[in-house]
Amino acid sequence: MLSAFLSAFRTPDLRKKLLFTVGIVAIYRLGATLPSPGVSYGNVQKCIDVMQGEQSGVFTLLNLFSGGALLQLSVFALGIMPYITASIILQLLTVVIPRLEQLRKEGQAGQAKITQYTRYLTLGLGILQASAFVALARSGQLFNNMCDQFPIIPQTDLPTWLTLVTLVITMTAGTGMVMWLGELITDRGVGNGMSVLIFTSIAARLPSEGWSIKTSKGWGMFFLVLALVLVVITAVVFIEQAQRRIPVQYAKRMIGRKMYGGTSTYIPLKVNQAGVIPVIFASSLLYLPQLALQFFDQNNPGDVQAWVQNNLATPSSPTYIAVYFLLIIFFTYFYVSITFNPTEVADNMKKYGGFVPGIRPGKPTAEYLDFILSRITLPGALYLGIVSILPNFFFIWLDNQQYQNFPFGGTAVLIMVGVGLETVKQIESQLMQRNYEGFLR
Amino acid sequence: MRPGGAAGTVGHRVALPDMGVSQRLKSRFRRFLQRPGTTVDLAPLEKRLPAIAAREEELKELDDAALTDAAGRADDYVDICAIGREAARRGLDQRPYDVQLLGAMALLSGKVTEMATGEGKTLTAVIAAYGHVRLGNGPVHVLTVNDYLARRDAEWMEPVYRLLGLTVGWVTEASTPEQRREAYDRDVTYVSVSEAGFDFLRDQLVTDVADRVQPTLTTAIVDEADSILIDEARVPMVLAGAVAGEQDPVHAADALVRGLRAGRHYEVADDGRSVAFTAAGLAAVEAKLGDINLYADENIGQLSAINVALHAHALLHRDVDYIVRNGGVELIDEMRGRVAQRRRWPDGLQAAVEAKEGLSATAEGEVLGTITVQAFVALYRTVCGMTATAVLVGDQLREFFKLEVAVIPSNTPCVRVDEPDRIYATRAEKEEALIAEIAAAHGAGRPVLVGTLDVKESEGLAAGLAAAGVPCSVLNAKNDAEEAAIIAEAGAYGAVTVSTQMAGRGVDIRLGGSDQTDRDRVAELGGLYVIGSGRHDSRRVDDQLRGRAGRQGDPGASVFFVSLEDELVLRHAPDAIPPSPRMNADGLVTDEQVDFAVEHAQRIAEGVNHELHRNTWRYSVVIEQQRRALAERRERLLTSDIAAEMLREKFPERCEEIDPDVLSRAARTIALFHLDRLWAEHLAELSEVREGVHLRALGRLDPLDEFHRAAVPAFNRLIPEIETRTVATFEETEFDADWQPDEARLVRPSATWTYLVHDNPFGSELDRLIAAVGRRLISAGRS
Repeated sequence: MLSAFLSAFRTPDLRKKLLFTVGIVAIYRLGATLPSPGVSYGNVQKCIDVMQGEQSGVFTLLNLFSGGALLQLSVFALGIMPYITASIILQLLTVVIPRLEQLRKEGQAGQAKITQYTRYLTLGLGILQASAFVALARSGQLFNNMCDQFPIIPQTDLPTWLTLVTLVITMTAGTGMVMWLGELITDRGVGNGMSVLIFTSIAARLPSEGWSIKTSKGWGMFFLVLALVLVVITAVVFIEQAQRRIPVQYAKRMIGRKMYGGTSTYIPLKVNQAGVIPVIFASSLLYLPQLALQFFDQNNPGDVQAWVQNNLATPSSPTYIAVYFLLIIFFTYFYVSITFNPTEVADNMKKYGGFVPGIRPGKPTAEYLDFILSRITLPGALYLGIVSILPNFFFIWLDNQQYQNFPFGGTAVLIMVGVGLETVKQIESQLMQRNYEGFLR
Repeated sequence: MRPGGAAGTVGHRVALPDMGVSQRLKSRFRRFLQRPGTTVDLAPLEKRLPAIAAREEELKELDDAALTDAAGRADDYVDICAIGREAARRGLDQRPYDVQLLGAMALLSGKVTEMATGEGKTLTAVIAAYGHVRLGNGPVHVLTVNDYLARRDAEWMEPVYRLLGLTVGWVTEASTPEQRREAYDRDVTYVSVSEAGFDFLRDQLVTDVADRVQPTLTTAIVDEADSILIDEARVPMVLAGAVAGEQDPVHAADALVRGLRAGRHYEVADDGRSVAFTAAGLAAVEAKLGDINLYADENIGQLSAINVALHAHALLHRDVDYIVRNGGVELIDEMRGRVAQRRRWPDGLQAAVEAKEGLSATAEGEVLGTITVQAFVALYRTVCGMTATAVLVGDQLREFFKLEVAVIPSNTPCVRVDEPDRIYATRAEKEEALIAEIAAAHGAGRPVLVGTLDVKESEGLAAGLAAAGVPCSVLNAKNDAEEAAIIAEAGAYGAVTVSTQMAGRGVDIRLGGSDQTDRDRVAELGGLYVIGSGRHDSRRVDDQLRGRAGRQGDPGASVFFVSLEDELVLRHAPDAIPPSPRMNADGLVTDEQVDFAVEHAQRIAEGVNHELHRNTWRYSVVIEQQRRALAERRERLLTSDIAAEMLREKFPERCEEIDPDVLSRAARTIALFHLDRLWAEHLAELSEVREGVHLRALGRLDPLDEFHRAAVPAFNRLIPEIETRTVATFEETEFDADWQPDEARLVRPSATWTYLVHDNPFGSELDRLIAAVGRRLISAGRS
């Protein structure tokens, strides 16, 4: 992988693309740390210190995706999330609104219009979310009212409404800017813009989190954690690459037909066919009990409430870990069954004259695919479950304070490795394309 | 485009100087958005027009020799245009209009110019070709759509070139290598794009440098740029050699699929591009073969043959996709409605169609070399082009060729009346109304040009007209020889011409016939009346057809007759049509939703074609790079002695015994043979990979990346393999043997059927998720 990067840097136009991507990422990070006008940077830092180790609730995942920019109310506080949300909403709407469905069918030109709608919707969502967070910040709820002594948006000479409106405008504009940066990466850089920006956000927090282990536990622990993390990442890379190849043959050529080792066309079924989505589903679902607890009297818990508090809302409890694990396994099966439809794949193969050698097209092929898929999904589900609960063990082992912002576990590692692999693959493929000179000279 | 819109565009073109403020703002904004047709600012070119006009008098004084002399010294746009204009005036007795000079200057600066039909593109190209030569970009190739135009234009424009001191040549299919070499040696060569491409491919396969005909490709002026650069771009030009010894399994397979019925035995996909057996069909075929399992390993050859035969039966229709003439099957170009010369279907499909028609099979071809029109055009250092409809493909020209569109205003405003579509519920009603409309116009003596979608339709319509007592000339793929003559007379008083699609592009329709005797009488009746018997797959082709009327300010009118049973509508927008549209008693539909549905269907068709083009292009990029890399290698083998040196190193003793001249010739021939063979095998392997690469998307892999991942290592194995095989052949060859690779034969398959429209037919993971949830919700709602 390192050699790939090195030779990529030796290829002029790839180097340009890489540097361009790095440049965009730098701008993104700058914007993510740049405080919005009207926000007291000093007070925000104090609040974040106060919050350190406290359970900050629903915003954790959002904060993770924005690289910590959210709690800082920086210019890019909303990050890429509104764009992702808008894309998902638009996708959903195409099922509901016939006009969108028709646009989608019109190919390039229609797709361009849908993209345009997505951008408008992103800005709309940006305004909504910016207003919401500004309101939360002003009322102190962004930090669970735990640092009300340090107002994040302090009073100034300017009228308050002007400060707030400026904030909302700034953050919305920031959202538009992030969206643009993402598209620039996709068009002119390497990798998928949205993924690269999420990767950046998560990776940006690694150094400070790692350092906090050092400050609290000393060098020995720091290196031990580092070594463990490396082992986990290696294992994840290994399994993410694993696939089962189902050979496919197309019987419609009469000339030049020759078996090229039988490996040229195949369906790659990954061990982790579901990707990171089941983990996100499961952890989102497990936020619910935590969220529900907020509505009850915290000082005088009833039996049920206490049980929930101790079991489902405490990541170190065995019940929590078990439920989490089982949920992930469930969602893995659920997601794979939904996104990989063996009948549809078999139909598509049949339509274009393809078949799995030795198996008849249509229903037998669908059944065969289904069989392989369900067998391969079990190790995939177990793997996802284990990787995801690892940080909970880290957590027991390190102590309760570190878990919430721990970036080395579950979702974060899976996302980072996934995006990393995808991007490296793209670089490699472009590199291959450009390097004929090497052996021809 | 709605008729009103068409008129609006025309208005915009001529009204450039006196635009209102809001219009100017709008055009600024469009330019800011880089909308095609707005990015090229003609103002700097227009500023030169007075200077050009100022030189006119002075140049008129010169005698021919002095003009030629001056032509040899011209080195800026003003000189080039002024002298070009004078030469055209003397040579053809036509003084180029200012707009033609504008077009020439735009061509000189490497743009695609949009000029309306009849504005004199041919002459514009002459001035541009002359300019390119003067500016050091020669030699210039003018790429035309067919041989007829290449020869006609070259001969027609020769006097002008002579006055300009340039030599001009033309190449057609019938030209001998000698004639080709001579033609390519001239300053300006007129040649059809396929001839130029084939010459290039042939040059790539010569075993002796002296056999080459084409010089280095420098400048191309592409005539009918949209047709060549967009419509034809995705058709690969293929050089194929005959495959020996393969027996003919397709004829046998043909008997098996004959008698199968659509729906019961096989199903044709909605887009009409693929067909598959149903379980019943499969069982029927297997029963005929004696209850074998076709999907068993040993029967794959037979299965392929049966699939191909089924494709020929179910998807290819006589007189739509091909015609049978002179005992052979000839393909019809889907974009132009004329016979596509020397084009063949690939992979045994040609033989299957021949079997279907009961003809004896011609030899199968194996691909020896291939290049897409797009990659071929990209080999030119400078490319510019002209056409009547460029703006609608402006985005694609920019995406695929980095070409910008310059919209040249027309000399006289276009006064053609574009009527709104007439939509009928059924095809029968449409045809009835169509014939009535033609008969009415004919009754008044007004010339009518009817554009139909395919050969079958044109013949059906001709029969209908004959029954109604209207005589007509039919112009379709079956009689393309008289094409130019028929089209030239289409404007005569009382003429009715039925033509398929864009047959006869490049030939003017003059009102009152080619000699314009009845011009005034016809103009009084409203000029040429163009009727389309159905919308084409793209607005651009519709506009080309409309453009046949109203040339150079002539009066004219156009209208399209559409039915809801037209294939375009049925194929692309069956859901968009309201269940009971509003209509008149005669079946004329007057429902806005239907208008929308028809245009929606057309936009889908355009999108599908664009997607096809883009996919072909994306996957051909890597193949083109490999072709270039290998061509370099081949060039070195051809022009140096490296093959012989390699052998000398390996077999010093044996090489001593062989005469050095013989050794170097033999080594070169053997190495070149293996290089060509391995390349052919490599191409076959790549198309195999391409076929199923979309399935990789299921493993969350990018199909294009995966294609590279397969193509590049395969190519890397090629060079050592050439060496190994060369050595092996050397070891077993006796050197008095005169050993040559098979004679290459030229065919041009249309390869579109093998490619998928969508790179990832399953959609993104999110699409699949949403679709699955949607399905579940709907089925839950039902139960």
